[in-house]
Amino acid sequence: MTIELKGRIDSGNAARIEQEILKQLESGDASCVILDAKELDYISSAGLRVILRLKKTYPDVRIRDVSSEVYEILDMTGFTEMMPVEKAYRTVSVEGCEEIGRGANGAIYRIDQDNVVKVYINADALEDIQHEREVAKLALILGIPTAISYDVVKVGDSYGSVFELLNASSFSRILATEPEKMDWCVKEYVHLLKTIHGTLVPEGKLPDMKQTVRGWAAFMRDYLPEELGKKLVAMVDAVPHSDYMIHGDYHTKNVMLQNDEVLLIDMDTLAVGHPIFELASMFNSFVGYSEYDHETIIKFQGFDFETGSTFWRKSLSAYLGTQNERKIREVEDKARIIGYTRMIRRSIRRGGLETEAGRAEIDFWKQRLLDLLEQYDTLLFSANELVLEAVLENLAEVQSFVEEHLEAADCPMKAKMQIGVAVEEIFVNIANYAYAPGRGNATVRVEVSEDPVTVTITFVDNGVPYDPMTKQDPDVTLSAAEREIGGLGIFMTKKIMDDISYEYKDGQNILKLKKKL
Amino acid sequence: MLSINKTIENGKADFALTGRMDTITAPEFEQALRQSLDGVSELTLDFAQLDYISSAGLRVLLAAQKAMTKQGKMKICNVNETIMEIFDVTGFSEILTIE
Repeated sequence: MTIELKGRIDSGNAARIEQEILKQLESGDASCVILDAKELDYISSAGLRVILRLKKTYPDVRIRDVSSEVYEILDMTGFTEMMPVEKAYRTVSVEGCEEIGRGANGAIYRIDQDNVVKVYINADALEDIQHEREVAKLALILGIPTAISYDVVKVGDSYGSVFELLNASSFSRILATEPEKMDWCVKEYVHLLKTIHGTLVPEGKLPDMKQTVRGWAAFMRDYLPEELGKKLVAMVDAVPHSDYMIHGDYHTKNVMLQNDEVLLIDMDTLAVGHPIFELASMFNSFVGYSEYDHETIIKFQGFDFETGSTFWRKSLSAYLGTQNERKIREVEDKARIIGYTRMIRRSIRRGGLETEAGRAEIDFWKQRLLDLLEQYDTLLFSANELVLEAVLENLAEVQSFVEEHLEAADCPMKAKMQIGVAVEEIFVNIANYAYAPGRGNATVRVEVSEDPVTVTITFVDNGVPYDPMTKQDPDVTLSAAEREIGGLGIFMTKKIMDDISYEYKDGQNILKLKKKL
Repeated sequence: MLSINKTIENGKADFALTGRMDTITAPEFEQALRQSLDGVSELTLDFAQLDYISSAGLRVLLAAQKAMTKQGKMKICNVNETIMEIFDVTGFSEILTIE
């Protein structure tokens, strides 16, 4: 129940006002008493005693919309520590203002040339605002370019926080109006994403995204076949804890270009966790939410489904540092597992099962989720590891995958070609002999370490045990007529690489090739 | 990818190779050679545009060298530094004529 306090309350009228208040409380629901101080100009100690007595009977009493003058009195007398006291906020209207961003918890409007306001959906958002201010400050200190709000205002019945944002334009808007800047946007967007994911967060400062996702997965168990539901939860459980930052709602409306600076906004979803959780939310923003109805994304992002899908694919490719379709698809699929889980849960909780359209959409996502759960056993991925069938047709793919990583490490041309030769010799060997006459997979992993810069390429297969190091070297001093054709591959590999080691472990041939650059 | 540009005239065969000679492309080169070497006494391989050679390529070169020793001569020209090093470690620089 809300009771309005008006004008001045002092020894002259305190007793009368107390009577009035008690009368009102008797006639209504007094479980939650809110004193609205919007029109309260002054309160003396007699008035304060009224509030004290009130608190004894109604311990949950709170005061809101307090002017600065009255707040000072309440603060001095210790009332602000005794009960919740909310200051009165400046009122801002967003009518006719441009919406420049929208996230899970609110929308951002430009209120004048220099300022924007984020209006929270939740009517009781003061805690959210406080939380967002704290995490934004934390992010800024940790080196993430972001804006911090400097004022809290009232927008209609909601709260808003005000930020300074000059000449800023969201990446969504850039993509919608200047499609030729797609590649530039991808580059900047991924650069910032990597900065976020490379930021170590002090323990306990941010929520753990894994716990949130685990909750989604647990919710889904009621809606999936038992085995697959269990598998989904186990897959989330198996994701290792991470203390690195993720944004949690990293789409292009939340990335702004201000003058020449790229800024991250909408910080309330900031968390720590494995990047796959971030990628899942990105997939949803650009593809997932609009996969069933392609029109959805236009309302949300201002660009069409094709633009969203292209941007997502290009960003994922740049993030992983590979053009390899197989790798990109694998990581995308793993992100989709969490993405669909989240969307299905969200839709069910919003009553999606009660309408035909909702059920159709849920079925659409669920079918995809089931297929993916059959196909994958883990949500983990590594950008530098490729698993593929060991057949000669895949040689070119292996070569370009290794080359991409060498190029990223600024590997000189000559070493690149030499390593290419070694990679070919080993992969061709596996393709020809490891599983003959059957077929099987090979894993190729590329690692680059510093001091001195060293490339390590590891091949793993489950074929017949074979240690190439035991192969006898050819006699390279013989004449052309005397020399046998063949038998040079392993020998060249040994000559090219600085170190080769082999082990057979758990039914796997593991061959490591090292070369200093 | 390997592209092969060949000219044959009066018992002289010139092959200009562009790209990569690896497990996949070396058999194409081998076949091109086999079709052309009848009556050839002088074979020249131009490696100016060849970026890459693996043991599969070396096998074809050795087979060609063996064949040409019987019917004439073979030389390789314009070998880049990286491929030259491959020839050196495998002893091929001793058994091939490289200009």
